Amino acid sequence: MTITLEPAIHGDRVSLLRVLGPAHVWALGVGIVLVGEFTGWNFAADKGGALAALIVCWIVGLLYTSVAMIDSEVTSTVAAAGGQYAQAKHIVGPLMAFNVALFLVFAYTMLEVSDAILLGDTIVAKAAVEGLNHNAFIAATIVVLAWLNYRGVLMTLNVNFVITAVAYVSIVILFFSVSPWTQGAVLKLNELVTPGNALPYGWIGVIAAFQFGIWYYLGIEGTTQAAEEVRSPARSLPYGTMAGMITLLIAAAMTWYVCASLMPWEYLGITYYPLWDAAKLTGSPLLENLLFIATLLAALASANGCINDAARAWFSLGRDRYLPSWFSAVHPRYRTPYRSILFLLPIALAFAFIADLNQAITFSILSGVLQYTFMSINIMMFRKKWPLGSIQRGYTHPFHPLPAIVLFCLCVVTFFAIFLGFGSQLIAMVAFYFLISLWFHFYRYKFVRRGDQFTMPWPKPQGY
Amino acid sequence: MWTALSYASWGISIVLALWMLYDWFKIDTTFSEEVLTSSREGELEAVSEKHRI
Amino acid sequence: MSRYTPPKQSKAGQIFDIAVVVVAIFVALWLPLKMGLAGAAKSIDALDATTWEALGQNPTMASIWEKLGYTPETAHDIIQNRFHYVIDWPTLIIMAAVLIGYFVFLFRASDREYRDVINEKFDDK
Repeated sequence: MTITLEPAIHGDRVSLLRVLGPAHVWALGVGIVLVGEFTGWNFAADKGGALAALIVCWIVGLLYTSVAMIDSEVTSTVAAAGGQYAQAKHIVGPLMAFNVALFLVFAYTMLEVSDAILLGDTIVAKAAVEGLNHNAFIAATIVVLAWLNYRGVLMTLNVNFVITAVAYVSIVILFFSVSPWTQGAVLKLNELVTPGNALPYGWIGVIAAFQFGIWYYLGIEGTTQAAEEVRSPARSLPYGTMAGMITLLIAAAMTWYVCASLMPWEYLGITYYPLWDAAKLTGSPLLENLLFIATLLAALASANGCINDAARAWFSLGRDRYLPSWFSAVHPRYRTPYRSILFLLPIALAFAFIADLNQAITFSILSGVLQYTFMSINIMMFRKKWPLGSIQRGYTHPFHPLPAIVLFCLCVVTFFAIFLGFGSQLIAMVAFYFLISLWFHFYRYKFVRRGDQFTMPWPKPQGY
Repeated sequence: MWTALSYASWGISIVLALWMLYDWFKIDTTFSEEVLTSSREGELEAVSEKHRI
Repeated sequence: MSRYTPPKQSKAGQIFDIAVVVVAIFVALWLPLKMGLAGAAKSIDALDATTWEALGQNPTMASIWEKLGYTPETAHDIIQNRFHYVIDWPTLIIMAAVLIGYFVFLFRASDREYRDVINEKFDDK
């Protein structure tokens, strides 16, 4: 087999391919997140009761609407692979960018690990065969998806679009087949969520539930990673991200309504398969099988998107020499950051074999929240350094600075929620980021070219 | 049936992993490091998007 | 301002740096697991109850538990496994201090590096 080097776009340089449209952006965003409806969000019910899960669904929905708005504005202007990483590099500075990229890689790799574990466990639960181990299915998930990513972004996201759409439609089918308009026949919300048990821990439970409320939407900000592969980033990214957010808000509301009307909160809070269990409780084998398959597809779509995003963040780090430039290689034929994909594969595998679902989810949430805290400050600095009118923005979000303030406050609440559940883990993670920041600031940064990092065709920022 | 599926999963994982290693090796020995790491941030941006102030 | 030319990193140096990052990742993620720091304080408030009513479940809830294959005895450990939210002030203060310290360092050090980047980028033109 001979390899023919397709003509690269700019002379003899090999770059990522611009082939994606808004539907791919939607598939990347929703694909990563939708698995959260199939598992994860329900741990919020464990933390604070069924009503708490609904309250955080809305409030965290507000947090993510702010995230989507802020992200759309910044990324439609800073359209580069690495997403928030490139934003941080242009707006805050190199060390922040380095940390943001690590947040991204951790959040997505751990989310990928959670997806693979979920998929493996779901198959094992369905099979109910003595001695069947989930490791084979975990390995197949991670390796097959890495291979798909290796072979090209267009195919990867086409696949993601199809499987995400099927998983989404299955939630809608489940919702309509339990006659949501009448209570009492199948759904028994007022008997399951009573004034006595709606908030079993009171309001502190609602705050604690924020930690897993994040899981309803975690990953929607990943749409920005595709910035360098989208045909028209200024238009497609805001459009795909906002459409994704609306889709997810609807799915989250439907999921809560069906699950809370079918299961006592104590069970809802501990099951790994809330939607699959809900389908079982309707008594329809057809729905049960549909939701079983949808759970697998959602996990696949999510892991797929995560590999895509984590690899691009890692690739960008190599390209700026924040990490060895070896990682910034682009495959001449498939036009993918193939070395980054291959490097992250064994790391994901290792954690999928040693960690459990709850812990992997928490690692992911922690890195996510650190990143949202950054985003709220980032947008303030962006508007200050380049006020409206000084550069052309693809999209300008309304009500500034309200979304940034809302986002920041909700992040503080979520940190408190994490403290209630995983405080020592948060301290350990932050200690890690702190140490690796020292390493970067005092040692690694000397290999980085200074002026070259700023690649946007913008004027000098105000105040510098 | 499920046990067979689990063996098949291991099989697929190993085959695809080996293929990726083979392709990686082949690409790295066929092309020079300069070509492979020639991607630059912002370059596409400057061409496809017109930033007018 | 003169352009900063970074030193060229040797192959061994590159590999060493990758190893440092990988080890750091594993230590940060794996150590809390090993030391048993992960996970929230949840404990079972044992009851001598053997009926659904005593576990606070009404007939609808009881019928669903049974559909899921539980009896009051097997469901007891799930239903009575409760969180005990206590605000441990010293830990909270340490956590807040660590977080704030981290972000302050991040923004200050970034800003110092950022000024170099801007100077070099815009003085070149």
